[in-house]
Amino acid sequence: MEEWKPNPAVKPHKKRSWYLAWKYKLMNQRALRKLCQTGAVLFLLVTVIVNIKLILDTRRAAYEEEEESAQDYDDEMLNVEVPRHPVNNKKVLDVEVYSSRSKVYVAVDGTTVLEDEAREQGRGIHVIVLNQATGHVMAKRVFDTYSPHEDEAMVLFLNMVARGRILIFTIKDEGSFHLKDTAKSVLKSLGSQVAPFLSWRDMWTFVGKKGGEVYGEKHAKSPALSTWGDPVLLKTEVHLTSVEDAECHWPDTELNRRRKRFCSKVEGYGSVCSCKDPTPIEFNPDPLKDNKVFDVPVAVIAGNRPNYLYRMLRSLLSAQGVNPQMITVFIDGYYEEPMDVVELFGLSGIQHTPISIKNARVSQHYKASLTATFNLFPEAKFAVVLEEDLDISVDFFSFLSQSIHLLEEDESLYCISAWNDQGYEHTAEDPSLLYRVETMPGLGWVLRKSLYKDELEPKWPTPEKLWDWDMWMRMPEQRKGRECIIPDISRSYHFGIVGLNMNGYFHEAYFKKHKFNTVPNVQLKNVESLRKDAYETEIHRLLGEAEVLDHSKNPCEDSFVPDTEGKVYVMFIRMEQEADFTTWTQLAKCLHIWDLDVRGNHKGLWRLFRKKNHFLVVGVPASPYSSKKPSSVTPIYMEPPAKEEGAVA
Amino acid sequence: NGAAFSKVRGSQSGQDSTRWHVVRKFLGLISSHNIPVYLIDPLILGLVDKDIEQIRSSPDGPSPECKYFCASRDFTTFALLDKTWKHEVGLFRTAEKMGFQWLKIINKDPRLDGMDDLSGMEIPLHYIFKLASHAIHLVVFYERSGNYLWHGPLRLKQHMDRKFVPFRKLHFGRYPGAYEKPELLHVFIDDLKVQIPKNPSSFLEEMSHSRFLECRYREARAFLQLYPDDASLDAVEFRIKAKSLLHLAALTLNNLGVKFWLSSGTCLGWYRQCNIIPHSKDVDLGIFIRDYKAEIIPAFQKAGLPLKHKFGKVEDSLELSFQGEEDVKLDVFFFYEEEDHIWNGGTQAKSGKKFKYFFPKFTLCWTEFVELKVHVPCETLQYVEANYGPDWKVPMKVWDWKSSPSNVQDNGVWPVDEWDDVIQIY
Repeated sequence: MEEWKPNPAVKPHKKRSWYLAWKYKLMNQRALRKLCQTGAVLFLLVTVIVNIKLILDTRRAAYEEEEESAQDYDDEMLNVEVPRHPVNNKKVLDVEVYSSRSKVYVAVDGTTVLEDEAREQGRGIHVIVLNQATGHVMAKRVFDTYSPHEDEAMVLFLNMVARGRILIFTIKDEGSFHLKDTAKSVLKSLGSQVAPFLSWRDMWTFVGKKGGEVYGEKHAKSPALSTWGDPVLLKTEVHLTSVEDAECHWPDTELNRRRKRFCSKVEGYGSVCSCKDPTPIEFNPDPLKDNKVFDVPVAVIAGNRPNYLYRMLRSLLSAQGVNPQMITVFIDGYYEEPMDVVELFGLSGIQHTPISIKNARVSQHYKASLTATFNLFPEAKFAVVLEEDLDISVDFFSFLSQSIHLLEEDESLYCISAWNDQGYEHTAEDPSLLYRVETMPGLGWVLRKSLYKDELEPKWPTPEKLWDWDMWMRMPEQRKGRECIIPDISRSYHFGIVGLNMNGYFHEAYFKKHKFNTVPNVQLKNVESLRKDAYETEIHRLLGEAEVLDHSKNPCEDSFVPDTEGKVYVMFIRMEQEADFTTWTQLAKCLHIWDLDVRGNHKGLWRLFRKKNHFLVVGVPASPYSSKKPSSVTPIYMEPPAKEEGAVA
Repeated sequence: NGAAFSKVRGSQSGQDSTRWHVVRKFLGLISSHNIPVYLIDPLILGLVDKDIEQIRSSPDGPSPECKYFCASRDFTTFALLDKTWKHEVGLFRTAEKMGFQWLKIINKDPRLDGMDDLSGMEIPLHYIFKLASHAIHLVVFYERSGNYLWHGPLRLKQHMDRKFVPFRKLHFGRYPGAYEKPELLHVFIDDLKVQIPKNPSSFLEEMSHSRFLECRYREARAFLQLYPDDASLDAVEFRIKAKSLLHLAALTLNNLGVKFWLSSGTCLGWYRQCNIIPHSKDVDLGIFIRDYKAEIIPAFQKAGLPLKHKFGKVEDSLELSFQGEEDVKLDVFFFYEEEDHIWNGGTQAKSGKKFKYFFPKFTLCWTEFVELKVHVPCETLQYVEANYGPDWKVPMKVWDWKSSPSNVQDNGVWPVDEWDDVIQIY
């Protein structure tokens, strides 16, 4: 591990040329002159502006919490640059920070560490953290504080940065619209005088030490709603401290050496780098008795979301029965920080050069990761596949240890997955219960080597096909009627909100309310009944005992299910043939469960919980269980809304 | 016990107490870290093998004399299975405290080498622990796909101390090697408790031809840049069938103890593109005629591969062909060794014409192909060039086995009265 070197293929920082530096300097002088003129004109036109403001009042209402006091602000007074100190023995960094509508950049000692002039991208407040002893960039973030909640993420991040680090801020385009008071006061506490008054389309740069001095701040007010403040360029000097001052003095152990390496390189991981009371990086969870998955390799599929990876690995390494030696993290691309996280935990990591775009790239990354896993562990019969945006339940390995023999012995099984697509807070109840489903949920699953080697790997979609690997795996040509075993209560939790197929709304709607098991050592119930034939017997038994619900009521209403606990109920919906999910989709919609495509079915049967009762839904007449329907009951039909909504993958 | 013993030993002439002490210290070091190593030193195993019955029968008796670890040598060689330890750095701290100097030789992981664009961490291949005038060479073995153990070559990097030990004298590391997973035995020799391969002589035999060739992944990638892989369903399915046929053939021949290698198109596929050539239609194997066994045909038939045809006879130009799944067939060519060349024969069924294919002399190396540990000619380039000529790098979809090979020669005609014997088609 200690031998691992950052890959040379990483793009080096560009050296800012003399010419460019000179050009920016000139531009800055021009900018200053222009600022003075603007100030004068502003004064003369103040009444006009007030009138325009009145006219625009309705629009103004939308810009919440804008500080009136900002109007009294004197621009010229604020562009304070800390006077240049003569260079003593201490090393000094020259820092340049540029803020404008369409471009931001930060240069440290002439080296560009941030440059963003992409259109329609990188809006908001860019934050860079430098090591106060070495001047190295430890973190680079952008918070789109034009949009809601991003300021909260920024506050969270800033709170995690260690005292003494150098913080550099610069705004691109707009950074004030959703910058709330809390965030403003955090910036103020860092020494910014401007932050509390930042407003619509202002340009702003700030350099300061966390918990210490301010190295400089510049600000340009936006003269009118429709225009941006003039670009600002802040040039300042930062005095470096000694390495000892920048490091914590943890006891010299192997673990702390890893911690030290990590903490002197990257920032934004909070208490893991706390000098006083660092959070552990080794967890030693209880071993599992008779652990059947101790020698099963675990492949963690990761991209460039090191904070997610950090959270994920923490939960994985805390799960009972984990075997860190079997874990390999596969990083899609030459990213240093995810590798730093992998090394912090003493795990092995493999980087994968991107060879294709978007979905196909993810798909090729999956293939490479799975092939490599079975190469590295040639004796393994299975592999556990995880992604970097999952929390892993404390009994994840216990769950697998109790069920993996089924995957070995029952050829009608396709996978074991830790995720129940329909397992929401209000629809999942029993941590010891397992289901068989015809869909392949992914999100923490076990793959049989023979399935991969004999069937999937040779046919894996080639890069130009641009297919999602999981959609491909769900296709009937691959699945061949086989099923997956899932728990009622998921053993993984999908926390990622920034991803290829993810956005905040989507996550809120479909993932946030997912139930996640937190009970350790759950003894799974009746595992043998999950075998192909035994499961049919089990379903027939369940349906035999189930009480038929009142089909004259509205199934979407809460009163559809009586106020009981622990009972089994069944309802029948219309399902003309195997692929007719019209009514199911409507029912799923009103029950607030997964409705974007059909998940969690087994021969036209869905199993979930409502009000702590087991709730079965049978599609009539397509399901073979239709025979259980009393002749007096008419299957419920629910019409799709008039306007067809496109199905989403 | 050890101290008293060393006195005895020290008095004997031509013996090296240093070596025994260093080995003992090393064994203490690794057992204090719970690292299971086993002895693979060929010279010691050779001596041990002579006394193996006695050693097995008295597993913990004290030794009256120092027979094995006292011969004066520069090295003693041990093996370590990578998966049995966790790479704790603590081992090296302790080693240093005990006075050992150590050297680690790392290189890229061959298990990831065949894969496009993956870069893992480099893996340790060899360790050398030096104390006084003696050194322990610890060879790291890795499990690889194909159910075998692999060790890497020992290559010094630029900054390394070339005089750390006399590297040329090492028994392992000149080439990479492939081995079966050995059964191990705890023994007590020279008052030291060590693990050795249960059957030292077969280990030594295995060692003598353990040389391993890695597939030429870089060249294969370049080839695929030039001639993109056939991704059609037909190609995919042929590869699946050919791979399973090769696995079945290897299992059958290995069970019989018949040594074989990848020949013709299958060998070309391995050498040129590290894969089965999708349009090759069959799987080709070579066997030295001296390894021929009459059980070969019934064994294949028992494995579900009926004989399709048999040309020639054991004395001359023997060639067998078995029918695999659907239209994939398995061709087995028998090779005849002469003074300065090796040849195999061909027969045209309808005319009884004989052909002879010449190859320069070759030896056999191990390689990994479609998750199988198999032999290929070590001198693969000459072998492939003999067969396919200098343009073997250019794919040919049309191939006539009677005229296309550049090493083919007419070899007369079978006498008609022998036809029933030498031309059998089923």
